[in-house]
Amino acid sequence: MKNSADVVIIGGGISGCCIAYNLAKKGVKNVVVLDKSYICSGSTGACGAGVRMQWGTEMNCRIAKHSINFYEHANETLEYEGDVEFKQKGYLLIADTDKEIEQFKKNIEVQHKCGIPSRMVSLEEAKEIVPHLNTSILKGAAFCEKDGFLNPFLTTDAFYRAAKKLGATFYTFTEATGIKVENGKVKGVQTNKGFISTDIVVNAANGWSKEICAMAGIDIPVYSERHQILVTEPVEPMQDPMVMSFGLNLYVQQSPHGSFIMGRGDPNEPHDLRITSSWHFLEEMAKTIDKVLPAIGRLRVIRQWAGLYNMTPDRQPIYDKSAEAEGFYMAIGYSGHGFMFGPVTGTVISEMILGETPTIDVSVLNLARFKEGKLFLEPSVV
Amino acid sequence: MRIEEHPILDFKRGKILNFTFNGEKLTGYEGESIAAALHAAGVKVLGESLNLHRPRGFYCAIGNCSSCLMVVNGVPNVKTCVTELKEGMVVQTQRGKGVLK
Repeated sequence: MKNSADVVIIGGGISGCCIAYNLAKKGVKNVVVLDKSYICSGSTGACGAGVRMQWGTEMNCRIAKHSINFYEHANETLEYEGDVEFKQKGYLLIADTDKEIEQFKKNIEVQHKCGIPSRMVSLEEAKEIVPHLNTSILKGAAFCEKDGFLNPFLTTDAFYRAAKKLGATFYTFTEATGIKVENGKVKGVQTNKGFISTDIVVNAANGWSKEICAMAGIDIPVYSERHQILVTEPVEPMQDPMVMSFGLNLYVQQSPHGSFIMGRGDPNEPHDLRITSSWHFLEEMAKTIDKVLPAIGRLRVIRQWAGLYNMTPDRQPIYDKSAEAEGFYMAIGYSGHGFMFGPVTGTVISEMILGETPTIDVSVLNLARFKEGKLFLEPSVV
Repeated sequence: MRIEEHPILDFKRGKILNFTFNGEKLTGYEGESIAAALHAAGVKVLGESLNLHRPRGFYCAIGNCSSCLMVVNGVPNVKTCVTELKEGMVVQTQRGKGVLK
């Protein structure tokens, strides 16, 4: 194992792999990525895989648009031999309250400012887009045909391979156990397989971000919570877009394989690092899907799993460098949308490290916002 | 050959039932599974593999292997090995993953 590096990235998910790729592409020679398990073993590999531009704030719209533009050409840009399976069939956001419809309308105004082709659709049109939708319980819907979903494993693999080709080094099953900080400066990372001296460490550990920050003596106001997903048996293609509802609390997509992947949040979820599966989720998910998309309710469930959301007080990520430990960078706290922000994470964090002008100004996502009470409030999160 | 003993299902032979398999009129007994009735009628190919379309026959017979998924009364992906035969059932070979209506 190397005993020194220019940059050590902790976490081999979409964020870590994409940051490594961007740094290597910009000419940083000695980039090391650590993961305590295998590549894509954490939240990325457990995620719902959707990417949407239908956000309620201009910055998130811009981030998501940038990501989608990237994913549209990911195979070519990353010279990937496989296919990241980007299925750009839209996101149908459904609402069962007038209040939510009003929010959709406001969001769409913001989205149009950013050049995002979203629109309100009538219930009749929603039923044309998704014929098995139970519109009798709905008030309306919004649709953006350029949203979609892609395979998180293959996407991360594409970044991983591209970064490796450019000279980045990946150490899997290598756990960061400590971060050496001297006189307010990062000096290295202790792992279970040896010490790597470095001036720059990137915390891309998402679910374990608080623990990694603590190793550098930094306290951040985040917590992790389990979010569960289930997958059904496959059937022939019948649903193009991701169907999502904030109020009804669900998202569901039909993967290219034909199986339906669906999830929902649970407000009573304890704040911890468990990723076990529960009966409760299975029952609540089944009830929800049976109400909203009854046909899918008849399918058999093949399996369920869980991943960690790393939650911040305003449910927005932290893209920042530490004021306490020079050389310590954070790309964490995605609160459930780290996969779709992935390409932007790689771009902005590499720019931050190299002191370049940012492609997208994400300075409002600094760590100090929580202390200063300047929360960045996004109305449309699950 | 007719299945008379099964590790988990109880095959109590009742009256003769009529059903169709891909339009062909067949008979089975009340109390046996669809797959058992098909097997007794000499039907050995129940489905096909998804990618290479190779024949799939009666295999695990306990609802685990998905080898016997068929379209029954218009419903796809029915595990015929653990679904009881009923009078007038319309049983069809399933091509592909099944169309949910």
